[in-house]
Amino acid sequence: MITKSRINRLQIVGLILPGLLVFGMFTIYPIVRLFWMSLCDMSFASMLVQPYTGLTNYREVFGDTTFWTVFANSIVYTLVTVPGQMALGLFIAILLNGIRRFSVTFRVINYLPVVTSWVIASLVFRYVFNTEGLLNYFLWKILGITSGNVRWLDTRWSGLSVAMILGIWKGIGWNMVIFLAALQQVPAELYEAAEMDGCSAWKKFVNITIPAIRGTILFALIELTIGGFNVFTSIKMITGGRPAHQTDTLLTWMYYKAFSTGRFGYAAALSFVMALSLGLLAIVQFRMMRNRDV
Amino acid sequence: MKSKSVANFHSAVLRYLLLAIGTVIFTLPMVYMISTSLRPNGALYEYPPRFFPRWEALTLENYEYILHQSKFYLNFLNSVLVSVSTIVLAALTGSAMAFVLGKFQSRPTRLLFAFIIITMIIPGTTMIVPQFELATMLGMVNVLWGLIPFYVAWVIPFTTFMIKGFMENIPDEIMEAAWIDGADVWTVYIRIATPLASPAIASVSIFNFLTAWEEYPWANTVINDNSKRTLPIAIAGFFGQHQFTQWGYVFSMSVLSLIPVVLIFILCQKFFIQGLTAGSVKG
Amino acid sequence: MHTFTRFLAVMLACIMVMSVCPAVAEDTTVTISFWHHYSAQSAENETLMNVLIPAFEAENPGIKVNAVSHEWAELHDKILVSANSNALPDVARCDIAWLPEFQKMGILVALDEEMPDFTDVSGRLLDSAMSTTRIGGHSYALALNTNSKIVFYNTAMLEAADVKAPSTMDEWVETVKKLSGENADGQQVWGWNEPALAGWNICPLIWSFGGSLTNEEQTKATGYINSPATVKAVETFAELVKAGAITGFNAGDIPMTDGFGTGRYAMMLEGPWKSAELAGAYPDVSYGTAPLPAGEGGSISVLGGEDIAMFNTASKEAAWKFMQFMTSEYAETEMAKCGQIPVNKAALESDTVKAADYAPFIDAIQTARARPTVAAWSEMDNELQVAMHAVVSGEKTAQEAMDELAAAWDLLLK
Repeated sequence: MITKSRINRLQIVGLILPGLLVFGMFTIYPIVRLFWMSLCDMSFASMLVQPYTGLTNYREVFGDTTFWTVFANSIVYTLVTVPGQMALGLFIAILLNGIRRFSVTFRVINYLPVVTSWVIASLVFRYVFNTEGLLNYFLWKILGITSGNVRWLDTRWSGLSVAMILGIWKGIGWNMVIFLAALQQVPAELYEAAEMDGCSAWKKFVNITIPAIRGTILFALIELTIGGFNVFTSIKMITGGRPAHQTDTLLTWMYYKAFSTGRFGYAAALSFVMALSLGLLAIVQFRMMRNRDV
Repeated sequence: MKSKSVANFHSAVLRYLLLAIGTVIFTLPMVYMISTSLRPNGALYEYPPRFFPRWEALTLENYEYILHQSKFYLNFLNSVLVSVSTIVLAALTGSAMAFVLGKFQSRPTRLLFAFIIITMIIPGTTMIVPQFELATMLGMVNVLWGLIPFYVAWVIPFTTFMIKGFMENIPDEIMEAAWIDGADVWTVYIRIATPLASPAIASVSIFNFLTAWEEYPWANTVINDNSKRTLPIAIAGFFGQHQFTQWGYVFSMSVLSLIPVVLIFILCQKFFIQGLTAGSVKG
Repeated sequence: MHTFTRFLAVMLACIMVMSVCPAVAEDTTVTISFWHHYSAQSAENETLMNVLIPAFEAENPGIKVNAVSHEWAELHDKILVSANSNALPDVARCDIAWLPEFQKMGILVALDEEMPDFTDVSGRLLDSAMSTTRIGGHSYALALNTNSKIVFYNTAMLEAADVKAPSTMDEWVETVKKLSGENADGQQVWGWNEPALAGWNICPLIWSFGGSLTNEEQTKATGYINSPATVKAVETFAELVKAGAITGFNAGDIPMTDGFGTGRYAMMLEGPWKSAELAGAYPDVSYGTAPLPAGEGGSISVLGGEDIAMFNTASKEAAWKFMQFMTSEYAETEMAKCGQIPVNKAALESDTVKAADYAPFIDAIQTARARPTVAAWSEMDNELQVAMHAVVSGEKTAQEAMDELAAAWDLLLK
């Protein structure tokens, strides 16, 4: 036990202290503060005096029709983009897993959207989907699929669709890489055995691949769900919430309430509701994936 | 046997075909962005619209305009400073935490790690209101350096999580040997742990660089002065001007700001993939 | 492997050095920040950055001006937020409609109380414009420029459709419809562009139709914003939108200047700055101007303009110098070259201003009305936009939407 005496507790504390301080101050403190703010009447007018008002902010949030609109928007965005990216990412990963040449090239190209910043990608999509834009011309005048310019950015669901297409486009590469890594760890013997039994490709996929990469699927599911609720920049850049907040999501609406109308208490309550829902969702997802194991 | 190889050949062709189609769809938006940045602003609403500009209309005027603005270099420099500072500080603090949490496991350290991981569930932007208040109290509003601690705090959980896996894999024997040689904790961290974990530190740093380089909501909230803006804010600002948008300028600036990121990505591709997969397979 | 650690150490050292440097370089000059919403690529901004600020700094050694450009709506929000983060600028160019709100927040300096030479300085400016700065007996800003909106029309498009610029609201409806349809390329064209559904955009129509927003005392909206004349104006507008004759406020629409410059919008209601903007971006388009068509209420455009205000955290002496400079004959004449109508009496008499042909705008200002001068206007404006959207999208009838809006406004006006 002489060796252990070298392990100086003070030095250990010294090592984690800088990180803990920064993390505690700039992440933990704001989370705690967020909760407190949500219970106070905080607005531009009353920034200095912050009377405790209990659950008033929460009541206001839940009683607000716009809240339910943006909540639905966030849920739809997540429900569409998460499976969308995962399915397409997995599909590409399976394609890539079976080829030898150019695998790296494809991987690099497909990953490029991930490293493109949200601001830039959103502006590109806005430009492409603008009512007088290239896409409408292509669909209408060249392919003849539509009979006029589609007003992509002007209505609730079409505006959200553009943001969702962007979300999927930008997320496929990430899914592809992590699924490819997972696929490469599935033992080849399993497939060989299944082939002996004459299993179809689909059966192999369902019975071997999916169970083997379950851990990765769970990881992706949780990460992407958080990402889905975190959508902000693309909405702000593409529709800006127009028309009349119909395309706002939880975060853009929260931001609007805080920084355009000064209702910080409302925004804090909204944020807190959102953090709680995400926590619950993560637990549910975790449970679901584990239960299937049994 | 023969039929099987034919089938394999078919399936390979199909794979390449699908991948090729996918690749085209993936790159179209980016190609269109580049092609738009190469045409004069007046040609943006030309009819019929073109995917590629007419050859004779090809121009570098947008790039010339952007590159003649000293503001662009300033914004670029701001982004570099903030991103590099963020990755350096995150690597230092994160690797130290990862070392302690990975190599000195006890009840408190395990709890601390779990706590850090749980906070990753909360999207960063939800905390923007209290963080703004905090920045106000600390006098960090409209201060370029004020961005850094917030960015570092955001990436610490991920950084710690990624590096901890590597730290755990350092064989206990090496550490034991170091203790016997009379090394103390700091020495072991600096001389043994950090070098061994450097691939993980490198790969997580690339991610952190991307995060800081493209961060928009926070910087847009706290930074006011044009001379303190980072690139994403500068680009968004170019776009936001009221009743007309000079897409040519917006996109040429975007292309210029993407160059470092794409370069880093292509050069460090190996680290990228490593980092990503380490996280997912373990998780 | 050690190289990476060493790299980190070197980088850290660099950062520390760099972060210390600016602090050392600072000297005794006062830097005042000036926030404005001249758009970043505009002629106004060029003049500000390359002519006015250098001239001011040369005249006043020891004062530096840090000009920050924000988008119009963003400037308003940034000021509100900054008020709470002690990050207010020293001076800002504010829309005249914002002053009551900022004054109520207590962030503006009462100039007539704090500046001994206030009477002299304000005496050089038009009294009508200075009235926008007076709230409750005190003056909180200097008038900077004034404006109103008139009709811009694309000459070629009107000729092709064989119509003249409308002079009554009935003609306006007809003309807007007639100008809409398809052009030779088969692209849709619109008779009228309206880039938003806010008060700035909708008020001229409401007033010209004989409607109103609130009572004279600005304490009540019911009976005014939902009066038959107002509802008629809103209904007319919505019908034209539905008929494909008006657009511009949707996220996917061609921006106003681009659409007008490329012949997709035949007419628009815009201010004096538009001429400079068109000359820069679309020099080939030929256009004419006309007053806003008259309806039951007359031809009543919306009074625009900006004041230059000082915040209570400012370096007052330097800020006041800069405000005087910006409202001086020299600065106002320079700005008049790019579409800002001066409020400085001497500048108004200058040859530049006379040559600029602001007459149609100055005529419009005579009959123009101001948006409600109440602290809650920004919130009211947001509600108005939501209500207008509900009408043009067909979710609600004009009557329903305006009734609801009236109730909401009554609460805000209390």
